[in-house]
Amino acid sequence: GNKHASTPADNYYLARRRTLQVVVSSLLTEAGFESAEKAAVETLTEMLQSYISEIGRSAKSYCEHTARTQPTLSDIMVTLVEMGFNVETLPAYAKRSQRMVITAPPVTNQPVTPKALTAGQNKPHPSHIPGHFPEFPDPHTYIKTPTYREPVSDYQVLREKAASQRRDVERALTRFMAKTGETQSLFKDDVSTFPLIAARPFTVPYLTALLPSELEMQQMEETDSSEQDDQTDTENLPLHMSTDDSGPEKENASVLQQNTSLSGSRNGEENVIDNPYLRPVKKPKIRRKK
Amino acid sequence: RMNRKKGDKGFESPRPYKFTTHQVVCINNINFQRKSVVGYVELTIFPTVANLNRIKLNSKQCRIYRVRINDLEAAFIYNDPTLEVCHHDSKQRNLNYFSNAYAAAVSAVDPDAGNGELCIKVPSELWKHVDELKVLKVHINFSLDQPKGGLHFVVPNMEGSMAERGAHVFSCGYQNSTRFWFPCVDSYSELCTWKLEYTVDAAMVAVSNGDLVETVYTHDMRKKTFHYMLTIPTAASNISLAIGPFEILVDPYMHEVTHFCLPQLLPLLKHTTSYLHEVFEFYEEILTCRYPYSCFKTVFIDEAYVEVAAYASMSIFSTNLLHSAMIIDETPLTRRCLAQALAQQFFGCFISRMSWSDEWVLKGISGYIYGLWMKKTFGVNEYRHWIKQELDQIVAYELKTGGVLLHPIFGGGKEKDNPASHLHFSIKHPHTLSWEYYTMFQCKAHLVMRLIENRISMEFMLQVFNKLLSLASTASSQKFQSHMWSQMLVSTSGFLKSISNVSGKDIQPLIKQWVDQSGVVKFYGSFAFNRKRNVLELEIKQDYTSPGTQKYVGPLKVTVQELDGSFNHTLQIEENSLKHDIPCHSKSRRNKKKKIPLMNGEEVDMDLSAMDADSPLLWIRIDPDMSVLRKVEFEQSDFMWQYQLRYERDVVAQEEAILALEKFPTPASRLALTDILEQEQCFYRVRMLACFCLAKIANSMVSTWTGPPAMKSLFTRMFCCKTCPNIVKTNNFMNFQSYFLQKTMPVAMALLRDVHNLCPKEVLMFILDLIKYNDNRKNKFSDNYYRAELIDALANSVTPAVSVNNEVRTLDNLNPDVRLILEEITRFLNMEKLLPSYRHTITVSCLKAIRVLQKNGHVPSDPALFKSYAEYGHFIDVRIAALEAVVDYTK
Repeated sequence: GNKHASTPADNYYLARRRTLQVVVSSLLTEAGFESAEKAAVETLTEMLQSYISEIGRSAKSYCEHTARTQPTLSDIMVTLVEMGFNVETLPAYAKRSQRMVITAPPVTNQPVTPKALTAGQNKPHPSHIPGHFPEFPDPHTYIKTPTYREPVSDYQVLREKAASQRRDVERALTRFMAKTGETQSLFKDDVSTFPLIAARPFTVPYLTALLPSELEMQQMEETDSSEQDDQTDTENLPLHMSTDDSGPEKENASVLQQNTSLSGSRNGEENVIDNPYLRPVKKPKIRRKK
Repeated sequence: RMNRKKGDKGFESPRPYKFTTHQVVCINNINFQRKSVVGYVELTIFPTVANLNRIKLNSKQCRIYRVRINDLEAAFIYNDPTLEVCHHDSKQRNLNYFSNAYAAAVSAVDPDAGNGELCIKVPSELWKHVDELKVLKVHINFSLDQPKGGLHFVVPNMEGSMAERGAHVFSCGYQNSTRFWFPCVDSYSELCTWKLEYTVDAAMVAVSNGDLVETVYTHDMRKKTFHYMLTIPTAASNISLAIGPFEILVDPYMHEVTHFCLPQLLPLLKHTTSYLHEVFEFYEEILTCRYPYSCFKTVFIDEAYVEVAAYASMSIFSTNLLHSAMIIDETPLTRRCLAQALAQQFFGCFISRMSWSDEWVLKGISGYIYGLWMKKTFGVNEYRHWIKQELDQIVAYELKTGGVLLHPIFGGGKEKDNPASHLHFSIKHPHTLSWEYYTMFQCKAHLVMRLIENRISMEFMLQVFNKLLSLASTASSQKFQSHMWSQMLVSTSGFLKSISNVSGKDIQPLIKQWVDQSGVVKFYGSFAFNRKRNVLELEIKQDYTSPGTQKYVGPLKVTVQELDGSFNHTLQIEENSLKHDIPCHSKSRRNKKKKIPLMNGEEVDMDLSAMDADSPLLWIRIDPDMSVLRKVEFEQSDFMWQYQLRYERDVVAQEEAILALEKFPTPASRLALTDILEQEQCFYRVRMLACFCLAKIANSMVSTWTGPPAMKSLFTRMFCCKTCPNIVKTNNFMNFQSYFLQKTMPVAMALLRDVHNLCPKEVLMFILDLIKYNDNRKNKFSDNYYRAELIDALANSVTPAVSVNNEVRTLDNLNPDVRLILEEITRFLNMEKLLPSYRHTITVSCLKAIRVLQKNGHVPSDPALFKSYAEYGHFIDVRIAALEAVVDYTK
């Protein structure tokens, strides 16, 4: 990613990385290498960086675990032990004779994280909150802005809106389909005013004709779980109630009604079914030799 | 030769041999790609006469490779005269000549006359064996290539194995047509037990009759063989087969019942069959008899020949009967199909028939018990409505064609003796009939059973059925005794004998009238009230000279609703008496405000101001119980029809009144119809009928009509929002009566016309708004039928285009209303491609509407669109609608 102009932040990270690279190189020299491929050095650098990062991350966790914000030596110790490092070897290693000393990385300022856009005045602490507690965050993060719904009389507007929205979507969609695919027309001289998507035969026509569409399946699940949610549509209430007063003439339809909802309410007892179609297929008998 | 006498004891086979044990059918190879079948049959037969040297069997379109009798090669001749009904050189080319030749060809191979297409010579080596009346085993190897009937292959043209494609094959056909797929004696009267074997691809299932004994892999493990045993003696014509990659559902209520459907349809199958056990329970209860077979299978297949086909222990249904819980309209239709199929298991499959002329008994009984199921399931109103509908149908058909004869008796085969010379086909064989005739035949058969019930009571009727069934089931458990097995065959004489034994009643006149002769009765009735004598003078005339009619002599019930109550009178219809005096019970004075007692005991308040002050008669009904196969044209005043509509509780009477009121376009009729429409206690079909009558009346009254268009305010009150009456409520179809009314009202309203004979703009906008605001998101049920009917409503609103000098129809001169309609149709039809509706009901309605627009000159009359929808690969309902539109161009 060196192609675009580097930002101060990039510079900062690059410098650190370069130092690490020097560390790796000197360790390699120390181990007796005279030269190394760039890719090898890069990989080792990457490993080192990950290792150090992990020490940092882990030490931070240990320190936060004990409700502190500054890591102590013991946090680092625990981390290293946890990572499988033999801590006792560290002092000896640090004092080894052939070690190389590396110059400190050039001092570059840690990049300043740009301050979040402040919106409005932060609220001062109320008197019962001690001063060392952090400040309140920006008001926009917690202030709620109540929006009031239009008066309820606008059922009509909602229905109108839903209807025209659906119609627009359907129109746009079908017109798009018609534009991009084959069409048929009722008027020979005009194919665009009432474009009909061409009739295309199916290989298995009964599947699309019988199976509920995905939309319907979804709908079925929804209405099943809420069992026709009347609360949301008060207009339906009177109609719904009228189903209950069944005169003698009504018996027929209500029979049907009960039965349609009957399915799916039974289970169990399936463990003892003996049906010839469920039995395993037999292996052929071995023919006797003649 | 049919040597059958009246009151015969057993059944005499027309063949010089009988089946003894069972017949083996083995199909060991089925090739879906080539649509071919290879297999063999083995018939075990038992000569009944010495010197039997020829065996005639039925076989059509099969290629016979080899015939062996007791392992000896046998010569055979195969000749199917129906393949060339009229010889090429024949001079005569008319329907009559063809019909005679065809009947002769069918006779020549009729198994009931001992004939067949396949004639096998018994090898001379076996003659001695035959003379000793010893058993013969006839082994026939055959194959079948691209069958044109009897066995139907469905092979979708796509990638993948046959199982992945959902390829399947099933037996089908009309009446006895098993000979199309294997050699047999293709008769309903020749019973034997069966062993059936089918070797199919391992991914497929073979469903056939009887018990599945075992399924065994072939040695290469790529195929499996299904072994079936049918131990109940069964006619070859009741053998069936379905093979496909079926999904299997064991009925959760009855584990011996298994359902099969094509891949992906299992959820629909579960829902559709979830009701079947109740039908089982019903039939077993009324017949006090267990279901006769040890198992039952339902198979739902594509491209079905008929919606329902019943065979021994299995039924084959159209896959299009399957539906989900969201579908309202299909549910009762499918349940009716299931119930019909099950009724035929008892009468038709288990109990078969002796001869073709006994068919009416089987169809009659199965139709009758199916009717009882209807009554119990859908209620008395639906039942009576159905009976009336069937009655109207058979009456219309008989008057049109000259009659349907249930029990034809054929003389020496002379054409003169043809009992149905009015028809253009012979009724001697099931295969020479027209399909429509056979449909009407079945309709008449069950109506006649109902007439018998009226005479002897339902209790006796069910006792007779139970007797037939128990005799048959005793016989079926007997082994190798084919003379006992004839108890499993029903005959007209046996049935009538059973009725007289059980009920002790003589129903011979009834049988003579409706079974042994064809025709229906046509009554014309009118009346006058004689105030002095306080007598109703009823005149009942008959037309018995027109084709399809017959004279009725006997009792006829007349119900008179008077001020003091409802009274039944039984008149004797005799040759020369037309007039009947019926004394009235009430005085015409009606000062007291008294409630009027109805037939059912209810007492109601009526506004009697519309009545004739001198007469106590409210309304009169001729043959209210439909005890005669008849048509009644009865004259009574408009107010009487209105009273009948409002207060008579019988739905048939209400429907008759509605039809009669069409001729009386008055405010009083309007009010009566509107009141019925609003009355929730009223049967929904009556209310639906009232919608259409109201539209007709409104059109006749157009110059004096006041207020909004008919039904509009009613619809608004019932189905629109209280706060904004122009917007329909979001759909909630929980109340089915309301649902059916909601669907029907717009369709009827669209038939309204203003003084210029146009559909009022207000009505069109109203329907367009219904479409616009239709919202089904919160509905438990699909609205596909509702939306389809809204399109039907749009189509109904279309009136002929005003054409100036025969101008060509273009977009520029398109009527603005039609433009709005076209806009909707286009959108609906296009949306169907993205979100198809159940059974593509919306596409069907759109196609119909487009044809209406064409026919009325709004859109250029071009069949191209319909031709594309008529192609193979579209759903059957769509194809039929498109084909109907194409046919319409010839009209």
